Amino acid sequence: MQLLHQLKKYYPGFLFLLIIVLLCPSVIAQNSFNLRGSVSTRQGELLPGANVVLQELNKGAISNIEGQFEIKSVPEGSYQIMVSCIGFQKLVKTVTVNQVNPLSLDLVLTEENYKIGDVVVTGKSATRRVIEQAYQVASVSTKELFNSTADAKAVMNRIPGVRIQEEGGLGSVFNFTLNGFSGNQVKFFMDGIPMDNFGSLNLGDMPVNMIERIDVYKGVVPVWLGTDALGGAVNIVTGQKNNYFDASYSVGSFNTHRASVNGAYTNPKNGFTVRGNLFYNYSDNDYKVWARIVENNTVTDTAWVRRFHDRYRSASLKLETGFVNQHFADNLLLGILLSGNDKEVQHGATMNTVYGAITRNNWSLIPTLRYKKKDLLAEGLDVSLYSAVNIGQSQVIDTLSGYRYNWTGERFPVTTSDGQASNNAEFYRTYSTLDESEFNTQANFGYALSTRSSLAFNYAINYFHRKAFDTEHPDNIDNHFPKSLTKQVLGLAYKFDLNKKWSTTVFGKLFHIKAKTSKEFDFALETQRTEAVENKQFNLGYGLATTWFVFPELQLKLSYEHTSRMPMPEEIFGDGLFVGSNPDLGPEQSHNLNLGAEYYFRTNDKNRFALGGSFVYRDAKDLIYTVVTVSSPKTHFDNLSKTRVMGLEGNFLYEWNNLFHLGGNITFQDITDRAKMIYNESYTGTGWQQNFHYGFRLPNKPYLFANLNAGFTIDNFLKKDNAFKLNYYLNFVEEYFLTWAELGTSNSKYVIPRQFSNDIELAYSLKKGKYNISAECRNLFDVKLYDKYYLQKPGRSFSLKLRYTI
Amino acid sequence: MKNLKTSTKMLQSVLLAIALFLISCSKDEVSEPEYNGEDAFVLSLAYQGTDGNFTYYTVQFDDVMTGELTAVGKGIDMPGYYTFNQIDEKIYATGGFELTDIIALQKKQDGSLEEIGANASFANSLQDIIETDDNQLVAIEMSSSSDVISLHRINPESLIISGSTQTSASNIADTTGPTYSGMVQSGNYIFVSYYLSDPTSFSTNYTDKAQVAVFSYPSLEFIKVIEDGRTGPVGGWGTHSGLIKDESGNIYALSHTNPANGYSQFTQDAAILRIKSGESNFDPDYIFSFDEVTGGKTTAHLVYLGNNKVFTEINMQNRSEQSAWSDSPLKPAILDLSAKTIDYVEGVPEHSGLGRKLAATSLYDGTYIYMVVPEDVSSYVYKIDPVNLTATKGAEVQANFTAGFFKL
Repeated sequence: MQLLHQLKKYYPGFLFLLIIVLLCPSVIAQNSFNLRGSVSTRQGELLPGANVVLQELNKGAISNIEGQFEIKSVPEGSYQIMVSCIGFQKLVKTVTVNQVNPLSLDLVLTEENYKIGDVVVTGKSATRRVIEQAYQVASVSTKELFNSTADAKAVMNRIPGVRIQEEGGLGSVFNFTLNGFSGNQVKFFMDGIPMDNFGSLNLGDMPVNMIERIDVYKGVVPVWLGTDALGGAVNIVTGQKNNYFDASYSVGSFNTHRASVNGAYTNPKNGFTVRGNLFYNYSDNDYKVWARIVENNTVTDTAWVRRFHDRYRSASLKLETGFVNQHFADNLLLGILLSGNDKEVQHGATMNTVYGAITRNNWSLIPTLRYKKKDLLAEGLDVSLYSAVNIGQSQVIDTLSGYRYNWTGERFPVTTSDGQASNNAEFYRTYSTLDESEFNTQANFGYALSTRSSLAFNYAINYFHRKAFDTEHPDNIDNHFPKSLTKQVLGLAYKFDLNKKWSTTVFGKLFHIKAKTSKEFDFALETQRTEAVENKQFNLGYGLATTWFVFPELQLKLSYEHTSRMPMPEEIFGDGLFVGSNPDLGPEQSHNLNLGAEYYFRTNDKNRFALGGSFVYRDAKDLIYTVVTVSSPKTHFDNLSKTRVMGLEGNFLYEWNNLFHLGGNITFQDITDRAKMIYNESYTGTGWQQNFHYGFRLPNKPYLFANLNAGFTIDNFLKKDNAFKLNYYLNFVEEYFLTWAELGTSNSKYVIPRQFSNDIELAYSLKKGKYNISAECRNLFDVKLYDKYYLQKPGRSFSLKLRYTI
Repeated sequence: MKNLKTSTKMLQSVLLAIALFLISCSKDEVSEPEYNGEDAFVLSLAYQGTDGNFTYYTVQFDDVMTGELTAVGKGIDMPGYYTFNQIDEKIYATGGFELTDIIALQKKQDGSLEEIGANASFANSLQDIIETDDNQLVAIEMSSSSDVISLHRINPESLIISGSTQTSASNIADTTGPTYSGMVQSGNYIFVSYYLSDPTSFSTNYTDKAQVAVFSYPSLEFIKVIEDGRTGPVGGWGTHSGLIKDESGNIYALSHTNPANGYSQFTQDAAILRIKSGESNFDPDYIFSFDEVTGGKTTAHLVYLGNNKVFTEINMQNRSEQSAWSDSPLKPAILDLSAKTIDYVEGVPEHSGLGRKLAATSLYDGTYIYMVVPEDVSSYVYKIDPVNLTATKGAEVQANFTAGFFKL
């Protein structure tokens, strides 16, 4: 019995070992003198799954996960070789095969068309590019969106499993959800640098023109990102080209202006490079909402009114300079990112509270350094290093005294019967400033042990420091203590290919945090005091990702990770006001499993299809939530809850002759509460109570949503080298409950109704895309859209975008 | 354009079909027939989500003494943090998630509950609602972080405000943080009790005297603050039972300065003071001193039953032993204001309190007192006989706590 117990305890570990043993590489060598080569993109990234056909022989091959292909027994002669890969322009060229000197071909494909798929193409070293291969990742190229006014947020909202719940228009607060995980459980990166504390640069700010690609890793995160994500990670890859220029300006409804300038120059001789991205966003967000008008504590009307205090501005400048493709470095770049925004706050968490003077602002200054070198010191040893310092400040200002606003924008003085003006602020009087500094460094090493196996090692360190001050409440004791967190992540991955069809990566991660904070002891007793405390903790993560090309068109993927998310500073330290600190807080943990299949096929030269589906399983425990203490106004965070996610995702893409494409995806996720007990500091003597929601689906989270897009591209429209494009997007979210569906009578429930939103884009490009003009309409049918509570998003809007590229 | 619309519709239909298929695959909704009979008990059951948010379901039951009481498939739901008060034939709900309205629940012709109101919306959540002698409602907005105290007179039928006053908090306290603890109306006066609590740290640094603000009724104008140094501040955090009124209009003010109910220090003995009917000053001849009766135990909860009898829950720990903000451990008792006695009710285990208004979380139907008592893990209804001081255990309550126990 004891043994059984022990076994149970170590069961995950045993299972893991077993899998490693079973999958150990038994190398099978193959030799042949035939037509070989590689398929790559113009950026030099090797392409797996490309179709290579010798047309005369009707004979072909599919490139493997390293982009290599081989066609056996090709007789001497001259052939038309045709290479195709979904998302790339077809390539046809003549090759001559001579059996005495086996030919090696380097075939380069040009990207085309917007696509959502599970194809990973990254600019990492060869070793690690392959390591990433088996992960469940959605990668979206933004290339075809460059003429739209979309931003990073809008691009991601079209990815299966991703749902972005927005509160309003440009610059509004939003909640990113990936397979049911949200907030700190999903980590964001820009070019591999953590964005956790980039308060001043959010996904809604970044125009598509500065982004090359967005990779969304679902549940299982490769070690090279060096992070502790519970539900996955997102890496935003900005422009990587060596020479280009892209400038655009758009103007739209609600006085929205967005401008961006992006470019890079590289000296071909000495490799000196300068690259930069600059953008500016502005919107009044004065769209109409259906709101209650309150005067003198009485509801006088419900009417369509314009939002009057929701202006948002943001700007960012990113500059990098250094050298590329030199003997000492593939790239060595020193950069700086400067960004800032300010926002007027129109309402609270619901539209019942309306504000007319509360504002927020952020700025940050982030110097960066990156270095990358393949084959450093020894062949097969690849090294890369990222380093960034983040100095940032954010403010919340609520200092308007003695006035209240209603939805008409009118303000009313709050005075007492004897004529005194109130000194109350609109919500909570504050002029608080958070000064945050952060230091991040990540080093990645990849080493190819053989042609079929490699090792990758990652070390990341993150130091975070926060100082808070509120000029309206200078005595706030919590603000008098420095708060810091040091987080280190070690990752080791071993990748091996059983054969050309099957690649597997196993990995382990080690997390360590050291938090310093203050804690209040013995409240209400004579010994009451606040003392500085320190907290250190370790945690382990491990996982596996494997992919198998059953046959060249069909790829299967399986990935699993036992993930952890270490607590964030604000969870350990509290907000300094009503959220107390909990230095005993441990990590959130989850078992994440993905099972996916991708099928690419073509019926002839013109019809191309891609079909994909995946099953998503998440079993999360120790989730960090607020402890409820009803008899007290203060709360804190603790490891309390458990949830389970069972999801299904499907996607398809159809392309016809580079002229028409139709794509879509659907996500169903059943997120249920799995905690049998809940804890609160009230009600019962033990603090524990039955969780009456056990097994119920979590409310306020969409569980069924879908996206559809269709488009035409007509090349050489009206004139040679001019192109016309029409794109249509449909977004669907099924009705969901704001409160538990199982409780209460069904007719009195609070629901977010079923929603369809339709967007349409027209673009015309001249001179091979040098000059572009585009027009778009969002929310075409002007329907009421909501994501959170009843916060209305913009109605129908129009915009016009001009873009110039070299 | 028409074609586009048609194709959009088509696409939408396809998605809808998929959606409906998936929904039909998910499990069937649970639903039970609701009780629509006469004389139903109405419980406002609070359910805590694992994310810490609460939803309240006000549910009718015909029997609270057997079986299990649950909101599965029944009840009116209200998300947010609510407090409930029954006044005559309506239950008034205040609070909610950023909702500052006054909402009433009442019985329809067919016996089921309906929600009315949403005519009045206030600058801040209402702290409390009371009934006046002339059957009007008086509601108060008063928070330790606000420098304005608002009183509203509200018509109980229409839920429309008939008069409001704003009083500067500096009238009743030199320092910030007067915190509401109780309100009653008697004759020409409204009495509001409060204590001083720092809005940031919640420490209570002024505990040497009892203070009650006096307003005129029905004009709601501030008149004065009355003070008494025989005991400490009146009332505590969340319990709203600093002041009670008897059938002849005498007011009783309770001071406990319990650490278990929001005090960071205590410097005075616990006691009950009186304001005689028609007067607006403390009666110097009356004091109910707890120490003499209980040997150091105190209470933060009073519900007036009639005939000088008061239902109370005594904190069974001396103040120096109480754990902060716990409102625990409690034992029900009957207190006699004129005989100055306290008699414990037998048969109810010592339990944790809710830190809420006992007058709302318990029901006195003229004969019995009903309340929900949390035990180790589950909660149960107890029916208390206040005359014989006995109790009977009833149904299990399948909710995290009961925010209201009413009979409509």
